[in-house]
Amino acid sequence: MIDRLTLLQKIGVYIATFFFLLFILMPFIEMIRVSLRPMSHLMTADFTWWSEDFSLQAYRDMWVTVPLLGRYIFNSIFVASAVTLITMIVVIPAAYAYARLEFPFKSLSLGGFLAVNMFTGAVLLIPLYRVLRSLSMLNTYWAMIIPGVAFLIPTGIWLLRSYLERIPRELEEAAYVDGASRLYTLRRVVLPLAAPGLIVVGTAVFIGAYAQQFLFAITFNNVREIQPLPAGLYEFIGYQDVTWNEMMAAALTGITPVMIVFLFLQKYLVAGLTAGAVKE
Amino acid sequence: MTLVAEGAAPERMQRRELSDRAFAWLLISPALLFILVIVVWPLAETIRLSFTDATLGGENFVGIANYAALFADPKFWQTVGRTFYWMVLAVSLKLIVGLIGASLLNAAIPGKALFRVLVMPPWVIPVAIGVIGWKWMYNGYFGLISGLLQEFGLVEDRVALLATKTSAFYSAIVTDVWVGTPMVTLFFLAAMQGVSKDLYEAAWVDGASRWYRFRRITIPQIMPVIVSMALLSAIWTFNSFEIIWILTEGGPRGATTTLIIDTYKVAISSQRFGEGAARAVVIVVLLATFSLFYLWFLNRVNRQYGAK
Amino acid sequence: MTHLKTLTVAAGLMAGTVLSAQAQELHFIMCGGEVRAADQKVIDQFQVDNPGVTVKMEAVEWGTCQDKSMQLAAAGDPPDVAYMGSRTLRQLANNDLIVPVTFTPEEEAAYQPGVLKTVTNGGQYWGIPHAFSTKALYINCAVVEAAGAECKAPATWADLVALAKTVTDNTDAAGIGIAGKDFDNTMHMFLDFLYSNGGKVYNDDGTPALDSQQTRETLQLYADLLPYMQSGPTEWERDQMRDLFNDGQIAMYVSGPWGEGQHAEKVPTQIVAPIPAGPSGPSGTILITDSLAVFKGTGNEDLAIKLAKALTSGEAQYDLDSSWGLTPILDYEKLGMTDVYYRKGNWPIFVAGISTGGPEPMVEDFKALQAVFTNMIQGIMLEEGTVDELVTQAGVELAAVR
Repeated sequence: MIDRLTLLQKIGVYIATFFFLLFILMPFIEMIRVSLRPMSHLMTADFTWWSEDFSLQAYRDMWVTVPLLGRYIFNSIFVASAVTLITMIVVIPAAYAYARLEFPFKSLSLGGFLAVNMFTGAVLLIPLYRVLRSLSMLNTYWAMIIPGVAFLIPTGIWLLRSYLERIPRELEEAAYVDGASRLYTLRRVVLPLAAPGLIVVGTAVFIGAYAQQFLFAITFNNVREIQPLPAGLYEFIGYQDVTWNEMMAAALTGITPVMIVFLFLQKYLVAGLTAGAVKE
Repeated sequence: MTLVAEGAAPERMQRRELSDRAFAWLLISPALLFILVIVVWPLAETIRLSFTDATLGGENFVGIANYAALFADPKFWQTVGRTFYWMVLAVSLKLIVGLIGASLLNAAIPGKALFRVLVMPPWVIPVAIGVIGWKWMYNGYFGLISGLLQEFGLVEDRVALLATKTSAFYSAIVTDVWVGTPMVTLFFLAAMQGVSKDLYEAAWVDGASRWYRFRRITIPQIMPVIVSMALLSAIWTFNSFEIIWILTEGGPRGATTTLIIDTYKVAISSQRFGEGAARAVVIVVLLATFSLFYLWFLNRVNRQYGAK
Repeated sequence: MTHLKTLTVAAGLMAGTVLSAQAQELHFIMCGGEVRAADQKVIDQFQVDNPGVTVKMEAVEWGTCQDKSMQLAAAGDPPDVAYMGSRTLRQLANNDLIVPVTFTPEEEAAYQPGVLKTVTNGGQYWGIPHAFSTKALYINCAVVEAAGAECKAPATWADLVALAKTVTDNTDAAGIGIAGKDFDNTMHMFLDFLYSNGGKVYNDDGTPALDSQQTRETLQLYADLLPYMQSGPTEWERDQMRDLFNDGQIAMYVSGPWGEGQHAEKVPTQIVAPIPAGPSGPSGTILITDSLAVFKGTGNEDLAIKLAKALTSGEAQYDLDSSWGLTPILDYEKLGMTDVYYRKGNWPIFVAGISTGGPEPMVEDFKALQAVFTNMIQGIMLEEGTVDELVTQAGVELAAVR
């Protein structure tokens, strides 16, 4: 009852939501429109909502212009997934330690991790290049995965910690009393309870990984076959021409798999966020 | 628990106390290793570089000359001011729009599941791609915004939003807000849904209006989330590089040049690594100071609103 | 016995080095985002002629390309060969990252006047010029005539302004397109006009010469043209303006020889004219080259030079220049070719500019140089200073550029 809205209020909410979503989705609308027009009609200042020559031609041509496009899309997803997997493996124990245990330098090191968030890879590029080179990781998938993991660890620890803190200690203590080892407790008791938090943090990490691959890819890698999508999109920029329509088509196609996965995950995402909202 | 367990507890506690520490370090070590190699070492190298005049060819130790030159340059202070203004404005807008959006998505209307999904795309796509979309829209001749405004007769001539200093700055802000809003919205939404219904019921029974309930219950209840999102957002916004770079590369005439843009231009474009490194260190110091202050504020807020 | 063993070992080692010397890979960074057909032909042939050698091409678009090559060099992992703007050569040379190249006297003489100067630094040549361009003014006659004016090439700056004004006043289109974005061809376009006004950036002895009467007149031209330029000029650079020209949004703009082909479909009524002459000098243009640079410390320097020379030899170079639409970089008639492509059509306009043109200034920090011009040009476009103030400031900023 408390939540029921009058008809007028409902209409108001719909209108406001419409404008809110319009703001959010406008660039996508534009990208779709650009991808549907042939190049010759793209650069015209006459604005038309719909044109007869809207077609899906660009979506066919883009595979020809950039033959490795499918590979790029795969690479993006692969790298982001690998980053997420490794990050979670590293973050879960660490977040648990910060959530539950006491040890010297605890606050300091946590603050230190947060501090890593404070600068982007953009600033550390050249020293980082040298480090990767001495580890023989350049021009491999590792070149994009390892830096990605490193820069996402702080966020992961920070976010997961607050979820783990909310799990009642009594459950763990019960396990100890029954003779369980710490690792066993961590694996069998804590993790299942932290599942919503894990999904949320895993999702946030995946998105982060997906978003920042660009910089590392163009700097640390020049093997075309393993480039991720954002770097691959640059191939649509030719000597004096940019095939905008195909580039947009490729961009939209590239993010579709991720969006579809999101459609399925969104239920868990919101549930997870609700279960342990990020509190301090 | 049973008597046996109680009696045995202290001994186990003792054992646990020692292995607690060791266990903790064991758990943290992989994360620590990553950070040390990938972040700390290059950072140390960057700090070292900031005391040299390193360029492509080589380097000499110059002490604090880079910093002295930096602090003496009025343009630097302008850039610092501009960066803070950028950060404060963008983050404030993100928080406000995020609150509004979260409230809308929290309302009991059919279709809200769909709307929530529709909010996600800007967060999910690589930032670079979204910004290219905005760049296209801002184009004075071929862009959607200019076209629409003319179509609806709101302007007479083409609107080149990225061509003049003020409009370029605020256009970049809009794009930055667009990039950051979905995440803020979703986190706020989750927080709102975690607020206990009883609180609302009690107020409703007492005849409180919707606005009153929002102001006096919702906001305080989710305040810790607001504050922590604000900090994260502030840090990311301060360092927001791709958005400005793709839209304007810091122009026109430096109107959108924030500290990170300036650092990139000096270090990478002009290959003056020493000077670039000095700027990078300044960014870290500024952000660290800001964050410390913020965390202190966070502590106060927590105590005041009794969360945890 | 020991002798035999030593000999076997020595033979093995030698065979090993010979074999490893045979299997070489050249990392070739090609700026521009695509590998041109003429170049690809030469590269394929090179791999056939040199068994065991593979050329790994990496085409990177102009915006990030030069930065990337320099980054690689800075981090100690340079490419073997890179095709870049010649403006980068001085910085690379001064930092000891590339090897100097030598030409035989015949090779030297074959180059058009002024070309080799764009790769010279400290008395040595540092790159092999591979593409050359000069500029001219393109005019859309359909738009001009729709404005009620005669479609004739403006000879002086006063004519230019008048023509632009007529177009803007009488049609929806802008009179002229001027680049104002923070991009290298913004500076180039300005220099097209400066060099058509007898102006200079540096004197022959290397001292800055920007703060001059000629520069003020050129900036004043920009100020005069401002009302007749495309909307928001600070957003546009030259290649983007091709689209405006094709769409009939601007009546004129300055571009290189490739423009003819780019406009052919949409603007069949185009004409090409020399850049109008200013009050203080004859019509000229900026001379820009892109070159092949060979990086130091890769172990493949000789092989790389061999590849570079193959790409730029008479026949191969002619193939590229004619197929891609570039100003001829070699004097092909001197080399014995007849019926050359640049005697036909509008080419003589582009070739005529070579002798009166000026070079792109060679400095180490070319980004800073670009910034000086961008600042000045955007200053006048955003009306943030008088011509005098801006030129004076540019002069000061230029003096600080190394």
